[in-house]
Amino acid sequence: MGEIKTVIVVERNYLMQAGLEAMLMEIPGLMMVKTFTGDEVSLAGHIRKQQADVLILNPLALKEDPIVFLRKLKQIGKMVVFGLMEKETPVNLQSHFSHVLNVSDSKFDLQNKIRSVLHQDTRPGNHNLLSKREVTILKQVVLGLTNQEIADRLFLSIHTVTTHRKNINRKLGIKTVSGLTVYALMNHLVRMEEMGGATK
Amino acid sequence: MLINKNMKLADVIHHDYTLVPVINRFGIHLGFGNFTIQEVCKEHNISTGFFVIILNAFHDPHYFPKERLQSIRLNILIEYLQKAHTDFLEDKIPEIAFLIEKMPGECLDDRKTYLLIRNFFLEYSTELKNHITKEEERVYPYVLKLEEAFLKGETDADIKKQIQDYPISAYEAEHENVEEKLFDLKNIIIKYLPKPKSDKLCFQILREIFSLEKELNEHARIEDLIIVPKVEAMENALKLKGFGNG
Ligand SMILES: [Fe+2]
Ligand SMILES: [Fe+2]
Repeated sequence: MGEIKTVIVVERNYLMQAGLEAMLMEIPGLMMVKTFTGDEVSLAGHIRKQQADVLILNPLALKEDPIVFLRKLKQIGKMVVFGLMEKETPVNLQSHFSHVLNVSDSKFDLQNKIRSVLHQDTRPGNHNLLSKREVTILKQVVLGLTNQEIADRLFLSIHTVTTHRKNINRKLGIKTVSGLTVYALMNHLVRMEEMGGATK
Repeated sequence: MLINKNMKLADVIHHDYTLVPVINRFGIHLGFGNFTIQEVCKEHNISTGFFVIILNAFHDPHYFPKERLQSIRLNILIEYLQKAHTDFLEDKIPEIAFLIEKMPGECLDDRKTYLLIRNFFLEYSTELKNHITKEEERVYPYVLKLEEAFLKGETDADIKKQIQDYPISAYEAEHENVEEKLFDLKNIIIKYLPKPKSDKLCFQILREIFSLEKELNEHARIEDLIIVPKVEAMENALKLKGFGNG
């Protein structure tokens, strides 16, 4: 199995939350990590902190204007957002979501929809293996270089470096620099001696 | 299962034994016979309502009665959170550290890997410690003072200065996710350990990490969703009241 994708849900109804969780649990590679009811203070901030791959959002749960809220989410970056639509959801709201789940859809349809959308996002093949470029970048990260320094050394744009770093984190399931260091040393990608003063 | 005050505490523990450390935080220890929750609370002089909410919230991640929790005095909530801090630092962390120490004999041949994991966890412990110290030295005392001022309906210069210098929104903005490294550690153990000799110890370590993670989540939920909004409301009320004539 490839890397696990984390899912967060914004939905005010417990029954819906529980239903979503049960449905998501059956899709391999997905893990629901957090539910929000929608009335949290600075919800967008909480969502950002989760760094999830997928967000399932019922716009009716929000306290603020859904369109304004979606704009805030855009700044969070690469997170796939599904709009959860009820009968009462105004039609014009639907158009603001690139992916829509209808509460009245069958389980089969819902799961297929989610699978197909997420599938576009994963490159098939070598799920677990880092590419050569990623290994090079991982080494530099572990040696303590900043994104800017890595970009300069490898003649890449800082944006490209950030993208690579995100992919490394996602593929390995390791997010922190010290976690990556442990991984790199364990797999002999760098040697302890090379680390020099870089640790700490 | 929804826990209520008329249940026997022993039955509740039968149903979910992971609540033992939670009841300990209230000063209740095993050996409570056949007494109900209400009776035990009375004997220990603790608020039954709050106790039942915490048991439920811990037992079921979906249970989080925000309004009822927000009606509870901040000093009671803070006292609970502080006890949880002590648990984390004095029980949970040393337990995991102790298990990791056993790795060389029981599951890893490779000393280097062991040292890497040990150092990683050490780093994590320091991080958690710093997080907690900051809350206990800077945030919690402020929250307590603020509640007092709010209840008395009077502000002093000290409080005013704090509301301006370090309001609760500043804490919220920098309140980081302390579970991140734990997540990494789980993956290192699950996916990347070079051929462990035995999985038994790793399983124990994982069990402790998952349990710590669950408690940290529960803890942060109270900090973020109860303490922060409640304090924010008090700050605003005090600003409206005290700052005008002050
Ligand atoms: Fe805390
Ligand atoms: Fe905290």
